[in-house]
Amino acid sequence: MKVIEIKDLHKIYSSSDIKVHAVNGINLDFQEAEFAAIVGPSGSGKTTLLNMLGGLDMPTSGQILIDGTDLSTLRSSALIDFRMRNIGFVFQSYNLIPVLTAKENVEFIMSLQKWLKKDREERSFELLKAIGLADRYNSRPAKLSGGQQQRVAVARALASRPKFVLADEPTANLDSKSASTLLEIMEKLNHEEKITFIFSTHDPRVMKMAHRVITLEDGKMVSDDVRE
Amino acid sequence: MIIQVAWKNVWRNKTRSLIVISSVAVGVFAGVFAMAAINSSVVQRIDAAINEELSHIQVNNKEFRSSSDISDLIADFSSADSLVRSIPGVDATTGRIIIRGIASTSTKSAGVEINGIDVGKETEMFDLEKKVIAGTGTYFGADTKFNSVLIGEKLAKDLNIIRYILTTDAVARLDSMKIPSDVLAKLEPVYGERFTSDKKFNRELEKLLAPEEYKRYAILIKEAAWSYREGSKIILTFLDMDNNQTGAGFRVCGIFRTNNDMFEGLSVFVPAGELRTLTGIKEGSWHRLIARLDNTDLSDKITLQAREALPGYEVLNWKEIFPDLAMIADFMGQIYGVFMVIILAALAFGIVNTMLMAVLERTKELGMLAAIGMNRRKIFGMIMFESIFLSIIGGFAGMGIAEAVIEATQKNGINLMKYSEGMEAFGYSAHLFPTIDTGFFVTTTILIVMTGILASIYPARKALKLNPVEAIRTE
Repeated sequence: MKVIEIKDLHKIYSSSDIKVHAVNGINLDFQEAEFAAIVGPSGSGKTTLLNMLGGLDMPTSGQILIDGTDLSTLRSSALIDFRMRNIGFVFQSYNLIPVLTAKENVEFIMSLQKWLKKDREERSFELLKAIGLADRYNSRPAKLSGGQQQRVAVARALASRPKFVLADEPTANLDSKSASTLLEIMEKLNHEEKITFIFSTHDPRVMKMAHRVITLEDGKMVSDDVRE
Repeated sequence: MIIQVAWKNVWRNKTRSLIVISSVAVGVFAGVFAMAAINSSVVQRIDAAINEELSHIQVNNKEFRSSSDISDLIADFSSADSLVRSIPGVDATTGRIIIRGIASTSTKSAGVEINGIDVGKETEMFDLEKKVIAGTGTYFGADTKFNSVLIGEKLAKDLNIIRYILTTDAVARLDSMKIPSDVLAKLEPVYGERFTSDKKFNRELEKLLAPEEYKRYAILIKEAAWSYREGSKIILTFLDMDNNQTGAGFRVCGIFRTNNDMFEGLSVFVPAGELRTLTGIKEGSWHRLIARLDNTDLSDKITLQAREALPGYEVLNWKEIFPDLAMIADFMGQIYGVFMVIILAALAFGIVNTMLMAVLERTKELGMLAAIGMNRRKIFGMIMFESIFLSIIGGFAGMGIAEAVIEATQKNGINLMKYSEGMEAFGYSAHLFPTIDTGFFVTTTILIVMTGILASIYPARKALKLNPVEAIRTE
């Protein structure tokens, strides 16, 4: 089942007389429960594509359909609400809320979605257990290592069962051991929760674990390698 | 959750938040306490005016206030009195004979307003008996063959009835008050010397003491040296009903001390009967009908009712007799407004500044919150709650401190004796007992919350303008 459809997507950044074609005519589909990596050198358009997929940036032309909804037709407030309900985000530098505990960070989006307290607690416990941090539920981000913080960020992204998770270079700030642990957890959750994961990366370990690797160069898709 | 996050955000940078909260608290405390002190001064002045000088409502012959003619009496006092007493809210009434005259001693004289009073009723309606300085008399209590008169301390000084003598007792009292021995030694040249006026004694003290010592101890020295010979006599001269000059000697039966120099210097009180004998004013005739009400707030309403009931008379309430006092009472609202605008503006700037810094520091986090789906209303609400928390904590702390200080100073008051001469010349007490009503605290709380909300708008709008993509990239 198609979760995302990208049709002839273009993004052009203009500054005075210079135009940069950051994404240039990309057509792509993502199916449910895919574990896909978008790779390519710096400036190839990975982050721009991811931002447009997340509704954080608008294409110059083309369409992004998520479960049939064209993102460009949504008004600002509807788009924010759509993001909250359908998309999970994992950022390169974790970006947890520093004043909340691990459990509260995981519960944050669920509370924005007005989940019942009991359901929130059940779900956050389930996810914290899945990422191996059930015993650290009451720790604030400052008391967690980088790898642990990124695991909490993954749990937060999955908490409200979005249609897909976008991860922008999730292992870029992690040591190899933490990166491996994180990838294993992401793959396990992808499998268990049947949620699509799309991540941009330079990291060969991530590429190696991805089930599908999409390569971009100068804003164009140069390969789409699906592995069995 | 938003409120919970906002609360936790307030304590993210404890030092900064505590500095803002402290500055808000100090500002609110200073404003509330200053307001309480100013308010007390006005409240005390109004209380004194009502309880010592005027009462609530006065009824006069229409001509009396402008003519001051002894023959301008209330035509039918008994009926007027019954009508006024029948108005609900009127607690008590009395009459006064009021004659302009001259009070004199062998050395001095002064113009006075002689009030012929019904002593029993006046005691019920006014507090003047309580204002009689200990040792100066018994407030018409002594059974004496002589006419008796109650006078103010200012008049007593003006007539040289009060003197200053540093007797052995006075020096011993000063010594027990821990006045330094070198200061007492400097006063030795005037031990036992009699000073017939305030001015002369002051001048001598200024000569003998260093400026700092004078500033510190003059009031205490004067208080100890204050001397009065009980039973002093003054002569009151005035016109009788036939416009012939008459007068008599009156034995001072007490000297009252109020905070109003003008009242003390001008008003003397004698039993009405003595004045009737001397002037020929008939029994039951009075110049003024005075009414005391159950509640000062009823003054305007009952004045109107009395005016309707007594169309041939001049009916005035305390606000109309002392319009300056009424104006100051009304003006208190405006003073309060100005005070609060200044305090709240300072509070608002402090909060805007702090919250702008907070937004700037948390750009990345706010970008992340917007990205993951926290809508504009919630981001705005979070920043707003942070501002409100800062304002409320500071505001409540300030009001709490103010309440505690007001409570503490209410017992002994704030002594501004240094400025007593100036303040008492205008009828204001130099001993303030700060007071403020509960309504003031409620209004202040509402205003603080509103200021917190208003102060949050600018930083919150800044937060809303952040582009999530750019904000997340911020380092």
